[in-house]
Amino acid sequence: MCRLCSGVTALTLFDLVKRSMRKNIKHYYLYFFALILSVVLYFVFATLQHDAAVAEQGTGTMGTAFQVAGILLIVIAGIFIVYANAIFLKRRSREIGLYQLIGLTKRAVARLLILENMLLGIMALIVGIAVGMLVSRVFLLLLMKLIGYEAFIEVSFSTAAVIQTFFVFLAIFVLTTIQMVFTVYRNSLLSLFNSEKQGQHPRKPKTAVSAILALLGIGLIAFGYWLSGRMLNAMIFFNMLAVLATVILGTYLIFRVTISWLLYRIRRNKNGHLGLENSLSLAPLMHRMKSNANSLTIITVLSAMTLTMTAAAYSMYYSTERETQAIMPFDFMFENEAGLADEISEELDVNGISYQREAVETFVVPAEFEEKPAPFLEQATDIAVLSSEQLQQAGLDVDVPANGEASFHDVSVSTLFNSVDLPFDLTFQDEVPTTLSIMEIAPYNVLNWSFFTSQIVVNEETYQSLKAQLASETGDAALQQMDGFHIAEEDMAAASAIYQQDKYKTSSLHVDYYSSYEESVQSNGLLIFIAGFLGLVFLISTGSILYFKQMTEAEQEKQSYATLRQLGFTVKDIMRGIIRKQAFVFGLPLAIGLAHSIFAIQAASFLFRTDILFPASVAMGVYALIYLVFAVLAVGYYKKTVKATL
Amino acid sequence: MTTQNKTITQKTSKQTVLQAHNVRKSFGARGNVQQVLKGIDLRVAEGEFVGIMGASGAGKTTLLNVLATIDRATEGTILIDGADISKMKDAELSAFRRNQLGFIFQDYNLLDTLTVKENILLPVSLGKMKKQAAEAQFQSIAKILDIEALADKYPHEISGGQKQRTSAARALINQPSLVFADEPTGALDSKSASSLLGTMADVNKQQGVTIMMVTHDPLASSYCSRVVFLKDGNVYSELYKGDKTRQAFFQEILNVQAVLGGDSVDAL
Repeated sequence: MCRLCSGVTALTLFDLVKRSMRKNIKHYYLYFFALILSVVLYFVFATLQHDAAVAEQGTGTMGTAFQVAGILLIVIAGIFIVYANAIFLKRRSREIGLYQLIGLTKRAVARLLILENMLLGIMALIVGIAVGMLVSRVFLLLLMKLIGYEAFIEVSFSTAAVIQTFFVFLAIFVLTTIQMVFTVYRNSLLSLFNSEKQGQHPRKPKTAVSAILALLGIGLIAFGYWLSGRMLNAMIFFNMLAVLATVILGTYLIFRVTISWLLYRIRRNKNGHLGLENSLSLAPLMHRMKSNANSLTIITVLSAMTLTMTAAAYSMYYSTERETQAIMPFDFMFENEAGLADEISEELDVNGISYQREAVETFVVPAEFEEKPAPFLEQATDIAVLSSEQLQQAGLDVDVPANGEASFHDVSVSTLFNSVDLPFDLTFQDEVPTTLSIMEIAPYNVLNWSFFTSQIVVNEETYQSLKAQLASETGDAALQQMDGFHIAEEDMAAASAIYQQDKYKTSSLHVDYYSSYEESVQSNGLLIFIAGFLGLVFLISTGSILYFKQMTEAEQEKQSYATLRQLGFTVKDIMRGIIRKQAFVFGLPLAIGLAHSIFAIQAASFLFRTDILFPASVAMGVYALIYLVFAVLAVGYYKKTVKATL
Repeated sequence: MTTQNKTITQKTSKQTVLQAHNVRKSFGARGNVQQVLKGIDLRVAEGEFVGIMGASGAGKTTLLNVLATIDRATEGTILIDGADISKMKDAELSAFRRNQLGFIFQDYNLLDTLTVKENILLPVSLGKMKKQAAEAQFQSIAKILDIEALADKYPHEISGGQKQRTSAARALINQPSLVFADEPTGALDSKSASSLLGTMADVNKQQGVTIMMVTHDPLASSYCSRVVFLKDGNVYSELYKGDKTRQAFFQEILNVQAVLGGDSVDAL
């Protein structure tokens, strides 16, 4: 190009961009949608991060959690956009080739694409931030509701969030630009024109090797699952790595080899009589399994991760109340502080707060388990002994054990006893050793214990005899008078405020039920919000990637559908086969991801003392439901494509 | 019209497979209507091998699509095996195509992801044909078309001629009343083309399969038993091979085509 006319060229180039964008809106919308969606979600996140109300609520952990989530979000948005751009470029490769064919230099084509990308990026930023501002309030309200903040909230426009979003997407824009330039410079004209027809041809698998690898894939996953239930020993870190490695490798082999191998066997048995539905599902799946193995593996692993994360976070949030109750059976409690207990009783009376004051007696003695009960527990430990009748008197729901038997209470370690066979023996070392049979490991405490001492409950008769034998007036095994308080639900906040005054503070761990419940709700609420938000982003990205992939496949298979319809198959006939394929493409990553996450949750269940079947099922169900929306969309797109072929 | 009458008197002994009367087809919206078929009458009797010839834009492919139920005529009646296809609903038409008609396309239109055998057996996959019957039918057709050895190959592994034979086998698998071929030799080299046409003529004679083929190649149409010439959406003339040699018939076709082509250039 001559120097004189370069200005003219730039103008026409811009015209060309405008024109091609207007004409190709169908091709663009996919990429544009991915861009806008990422901007919206990131902007909402940044707004929340910078919101005064959130900052005020949050302490150090909140900020860190937001920062980590923010980085994850950028990574996911980056991958998602680059992927969408790759599909977008592939669909347009003919057009890129055509520009070169009519005489534009590679440089000019690259400039055209960059210009286009810039326009799209700017538009996406504007639209995304505008939409983000509208929806960020909804998300903020949701967050505040989750963490139990009940003040009036106003979302202020955050310049910092806009700037942050701008820079993040500037970086992503640079990435996609490099990708575009690469496409233009690396590909020959011929490959640009043929790229729509790509897709490998199925090859006959080497039976012996495939069979071994196929079974190895299943074996690795089975081993990973098996190990995940037996991780809690000295090698826990190594075990976790082993589980991760075997399950991920196994998943890859499943997609790369096992499925093709199985499909090949089914197909061979059909001996050519494949039928229409298999021709539209089994055959194209085999055709593409090789190139799809990577993305399906990533999607499956991501889904499993997301499912585990959201299910765990929701379970924590869901069981906050019961967990706190298990740790603190009384609203607050005084140890050997009858004076303070009297004082607070008076203060509660003055404030018109109704309460029940319960007295319980206990003593702490060293004891020894029959054998080391779990890898993380010592064989010798200090144990507080309590009487079941006294506890019942104090309003606790405990059973009365038989003579010489006991139930063991310690929320912090109870799940570690899961693998211990009951009953087992507990021996008190005295002149004459006394042995009790532990009949039950209860997942709740019977005292608001400020030290992490395990408790056992025996019946009154056994208690009295143990007391006579083991307890002393003074020293380590001294009797302790516990004063526990039960407060009515509506007065909890006021009572908690009274209890939290400095004059009642006797130890560094000055906790009451209400304030620790509030604290848990706050941190678990934040956790479920961040997990849910990230989960939604993962879900939308993986769902969209699968949907985009199916759109591309539908385009590539257009000719097949046209042929089938000419041969006399109806849209309905063809859709049956396509739906079968979609069930496979979407269902398989979901099913395997669900299986992985179920085992992951089970392996992590020692973190929970309460039953998490319900919250985990709800989280997984919601995930699967949203995921299915993408499958329905894909089927809809196929239907449109098939209908348009004739 | 004289040729038309001759057809009827000559072939009354044979059963009619296709009867088209006053078929018209227009494209475009109001104000810009273009009539591509301007009232075509055509009768095809059982066992005929009819070639449709004409210059580009004469309406060959449109006629084929309309007769083959892929497209609907704007006007006129078409009976295939006595059934009026212009009155059928879309689903009925699909079933009709699947059960009564066979198709051979210029670009073969084989499914890349299916083997030769799977491609051929596709049309019977929804039908009532038993697996053994289908298998037997496949074996006999594959033998006639000489593609038995290719059964487990994928389309990308075989030559164009072999692909077209596969396509022909697929068209014949459900023993159709009528096979439509749209420029079947268009993408083939001359050797594969004449080999395929020879096979089609054999199938036509020996199996009694009725074939209607659209082509612009005079050599291809010289394999037919009758050639219909279209011009600007009308039947221009017809030629019968009768007892003539293929070479002589080929000459005749060339002559008609010369008149047809010269006419159009000179007249306009």
